[in-house]
Amino acid sequence: MSTRRVIDVSELPHHDFDTVDPVWWGNNGLLAIETSMFVILIVTYFYLRQNFTEWPPPIALMTAPLNPLPSLGPGTWNTVLLLFSILPIALADLSSRRGYRAGAQFGLVICLLCGAGAIALRAFEFPAVKFRWDSNSYGSVVWFLLGMHLTHLVTLMSETVLLTIWIFVREFDLKHRLDLTALAIYWYWVVGIWLVVYTVVYWSPRWL
Amino acid sequence: MAQAIPKPVQLVDIELTEADIARDKREMERTWRRPKGLWGFLVETDHKVIGLRYIITAFIFFLFGGIEAALMRIQLAFPENHFLNPDRYNQVFTVHGTTMMFLFAVPIVTAMGIYFVPLMIGARDVAFPRLNAYGYFVYLIGGILLYTSFLLNTGPDAGWFSYVPLAGPSYSPGKRVDIWAQMITFTEISGLAGAIVVIGTAFKMRAPGMSLNRIPLFVWAQVVTAFMILFAMPSVMLASGLLASDRLVDTHIFNPAEGGDAILYQHMFWFFGHPEVYIIFIPALGFISPIIIAFARRKIFGYTAMVLSLVATAFIGFGLWVHHMFATPLPQLGESFFTAASMMIAIPTGVQIFCWLATLWGSKLQMRTPLLFVLGFFTIFVIGGLTGLMLASVPLDLQIHDTFFVVAHLHYVLIGGSVFPLFGAFYYWFPKWSGRMLGERLGKWNFWLMFIGFNLVFFPMHQLGLKGMPRRVYTYLPETGWGNLNLLASIGAFILAIGVLVFIVNAISALRAGEVAGDNPWAADSLEWATSSPPPDYNFLYLPTVSGRYALWSQTDKTPIVYGLSTQKRETLVTSVIAANPELRFDVPGTSIWPFMVALATAEAFIVGIFTPWAFPIGAVLAFAALAGWFFADPDHSNKKVIEQTEGHRPATQPKELRAEEA
Amino acid sequence: MRSKYSQLLSPGIAALAALTSTACSGVQSALDPAGPQAHNISRLWWLMFYVCTAVFIAVTIVLGLAINRSRKISGAEDLAPELEMPPEAETRRRNIVAAATAFTVVTLFVFLVASFFVGRGMSAELSAKQGVVVEVTGHQWWWEVRYLNDDASSIFTTANEIHIPVGTPVTLTLKASDVIHSFWVPNLHGKTDAIPGKVATMWFQADRPGTYRGQCAEYCGLQHAHMGLIVIAESREQFNSWITSQTQPAIQPSSATAARGQQIFMSGTCNMCHAISGTEAGSNIGPNLTHIASRQTIGAATMTNLGDHLSQWIADSQKIKPGNRMPPHNLSPEDLQAVIDYMQTLK
Repeated sequence: MSTRRVIDVSELPHHDFDTVDPVWWGNNGLLAIETSMFVILIVTYFYLRQNFTEWPPPIALMTAPLNPLPSLGPGTWNTVLLLFSILPIALADLSSRRGYRAGAQFGLVICLLCGAGAIALRAFEFPAVKFRWDSNSYGSVVWFLLGMHLTHLVTLMSETVLLTIWIFVREFDLKHRLDLTALAIYWYWVVGIWLVVYTVVYWSPRWL
Repeated sequence: MAQAIPKPVQLVDIELTEADIARDKREMERTWRRPKGLWGFLVETDHKVIGLRYIITAFIFFLFGGIEAALMRIQLAFPENHFLNPDRYNQVFTVHGTTMMFLFAVPIVTAMGIYFVPLMIGARDVAFPRLNAYGYFVYLIGGILLYTSFLLNTGPDAGWFSYVPLAGPSYSPGKRVDIWAQMITFTEISGLAGAIVVIGTAFKMRAPGMSLNRIPLFVWAQVVTAFMILFAMPSVMLASGLLASDRLVDTHIFNPAEGGDAILYQHMFWFFGHPEVYIIFIPALGFISPIIIAFARRKIFGYTAMVLSLVATAFIGFGLWVHHMFATPLPQLGESFFTAASMMIAIPTGVQIFCWLATLWGSKLQMRTPLLFVLGFFTIFVIGGLTGLMLASVPLDLQIHDTFFVVAHLHYVLIGGSVFPLFGAFYYWFPKWSGRMLGERLGKWNFWLMFIGFNLVFFPMHQLGLKGMPRRVYTYLPETGWGNLNLLASIGAFILAIGVLVFIVNAISALRAGEVAGDNPWAADSLEWATSSPPPDYNFLYLPTVSGRYALWSQTDKTPIVYGLSTQKRETLVTSVIAANPELRFDVPGTSIWPFMVALATAEAFIVGIFTPWAFPIGAVLAFAALAGWFFADPDHSNKKVIEQTEGHRPATQPKELRAEEA
Repeated sequence: MRSKYSQLLSPGIAALAALTSTACSGVQSALDPAGPQAHNISRLWWLMFYVCTAVFIAVTIVLGLAINRSRKISGAEDLAPELEMPPEAETRRRNIVAAATAFTVVTLFVFLVASFFVGRGMSAELSAKQGVVVEVTGHQWWWEVRYLNDDASSIFTTANEIHIPVGTPVTLTLKASDVIHSFWVPNLHGKTDAIPGKVATMWFQADRPGTYRGQCAEYCGLQHAHMGLIVIAESREQFNSWITSQTQPAIQPSSATAARGQQIFMSGTCNMCHAISGTEAGSNIGPNLTHIASRQTIGAATMTNLGDHLSQWIADSQKIKPGNRMPPHNLSPEDLQAVIDYMQTLK
């Protein structure tokens, strides 16, 4: 009489990787939002270009070059550094999945160094643009592109710092291994988006 | 790379005595008990509480928006009226539109999802309860910001859409437009948070057996809307953010004198703005289906077509935005594309209406108040949709754009398409929220007063627009001959207002002495009716499974329940996206102060950011600290803090076996 | 409560009342076309109106029938839900829904084609249109009107009033000096936005003489409601004589009070904003006053230029159009009358 048919789920795990855990969906939802923001900003960049015959616009100074393209130096080094950083984060990602704590720790520390370097180089990229944010609409949109990406670099670094501390100081438990793989996705995204922004800001005015 | 599951999930027959059930209930009641007092308000993460907070707050904003509308109708009732001076009127119409669109419509329809999606899919909470709580606080702060400024006579006055250059630094000095821009940020962050919550929940937390083709149409509508929010809201956040930046730190994105572009703002705003109205409309389509199912005592005809129509509407909705800009100097060939798309979107909506008509035809109809509001939707929304086709045509639009014809159209589609179904939803689900039925007699008065009042206000506006009356005018000359129709509209407004008042009276009297509702007063089909009214804190004592699209109508006593989730800590079930196979025992975070702390940091950044850009780095540091707490402080899965608060002693520490499962 | 026909009553009555109590005609009405574009648009409107009304009636009838034909519930067992429909019923419904959808697609296609052809007629011959060319610049909250001509000496500026010869196409270039405005004269054509930093072009034509009122149709700030204008369509001869008089500079005032008025104008604040050709007043912050006495309205079609309206306007325009850019003037009654006398000479 009191027999009940049931599905017994008491042996199911609490966490799992990739699409199994809701965190993956939340994370990628946030990345979808941020991708939309960048797409619209990039469209804005090309839209504003229609209002100019010279792009970047000329600087009104006798001594300035007629076509003040952003200097390639800091931006290109930054791209190299960020591309390189894929290696340590991939190491941390794989180590996390396999439960190999030392690999994750090592990878994260290198990532921290790369991230700090990227933020430092970004500080040099802003003056490389040759216009201030309030000079004209070109300056405004390029500072916004670089600035929004900088915000993501800072957020990424903050998350990495906290997770690194945890993994050194507390247990290498499944939940935080899972969090690390989520961080890795964010890291890949930040690098990937940078490749697009870098091409748009530094190369599109040279090619188009 | 998923871990191998230690043992397969078992389908077994077990002994479940009355004593077992009573013991489980006692423990669940303790584990899911709600916190009390002010601290309780700040730390609550239960989706039902958050959902009701949103609904009640949004309804209060609806009343405020209604008062603003009444003020406008008084001013416009007679030509050259002096009830409101132009500055005040311009603030009133701006705040009316802003309130209705950002503080009422979107929050309330997504709040219905926050409350009902977990219940309808057989879960104990949403996938991200703390993000959910954060979304509410940010929304509330944004609303308070707007109304504080409005009551201090510094309310925004450049329209709910805030076009540049009027809203730019040269032509809108002071902080009015900055307040608007930051309020947008708050409400959009809240909306985006809600969208992520809905997607995570609907995808991953459905009851075993609820495969994609068995998901209730209400939930489909919420999921489609959530995806629209993800891709549309960033556009307005950028538009308002770039506007704020132009005003605060002299960027030139929209300044034509330095190569910026005024039309760019319109593109950015309407790329959001058009999907926005579908974000408001599509959830309402999700209210209509369950109401028709329950009162026609029938499954919906054409479920697959209905789902595909929702998806098609969402997709096409992203391709219409230029129809708000036909009067600007854009190339005509491009504009024709948008005419075609704007007409094409009538097709999926038409399919939905035809399927509903096919469901109603020959059914066993119970004419109760929720169904009345749905019928009201049919007539009013169809008129709005038809006038939309007129506006879609470029040459005709050039006459009626920016006139009262558009005011008529937008209210027919938004009130007909969203508010009427919403009121129907109130009457349908009020018993589930409160355990009481709303009165039927008062319900009918409510409906008819709203229906008649609404048509009296807005139908004459079609003619006013054709007779040359533009929008956003605080008065008009007597020679125009617009006086009679305006007076008629103003009279209608008061009838509509009385209708809304009848609703409030109905709700209050029902809460006090309404007929007690059981678990399932409508004998409806979906899972929220499988638990008590109101639901217990843990939603379901044992999570249900489903064997058909209409869960309670296809249930038998052989239909299994879910067993094995802990009663000592908060757990719910995570299942696979397509077939809803059980995958994880998900740890639901308990009460938490961190959402409130992050909301405070957000508030600092965007409110102080009205005055200085340094607010942002400071806000970033504060947010970092609060987020560190959010992600790294131990979550209270076993409800220790609330048990301590309510029972006055620390509960026993977790048994070792439960802790070992974490690794 | 079972009859849905009662739900037809409300909008029906409202519509009937509105339509009968105030006809479609009017000096600012899109449904009282006086030119070819407004005429074509009005025809498109009526096509869509009748088709949409028929669709609405059809849907309401089907809804009403669906409710009327529903089966009564007479007991608790009757509440049993129907999870399966007999196959013939399913098939019949599927066919009807498909047919209704097909009908919808066809109707939309008809609308699309009609709309496209009407639209093409509006702008197609833009480049071929000669005749009168007028440049209109929107300001907060008035319209600057400049008649262009190949002969530079025939170019003149006026405000808030446009004269056009009947039967001749008039090309307008639209600009905005501050915020977005929208130029709209419903009897003649749809509206076109005037956007700072951009130039828009449109053309219209009046096929019968008359005075047509227009109004700014894009929210532009405090006095958006009072930013009107009038378009006067007249015979060729009347138009030519108007042009001739407008190209003349202002004549010197002959009477003493008018001369005194001119002196007050030039030495006070007036000439800081207003231009009068033939004098040293040359600012274009406000409307050009060279021929103010010949204009029919004041304050961007806010009041007629009759009686003591001009006097009220000069003394305190803030009472009439609060927030507009013209400050009040504290002149003695004699001084005010002198200024008015001077203004009256500016025909």
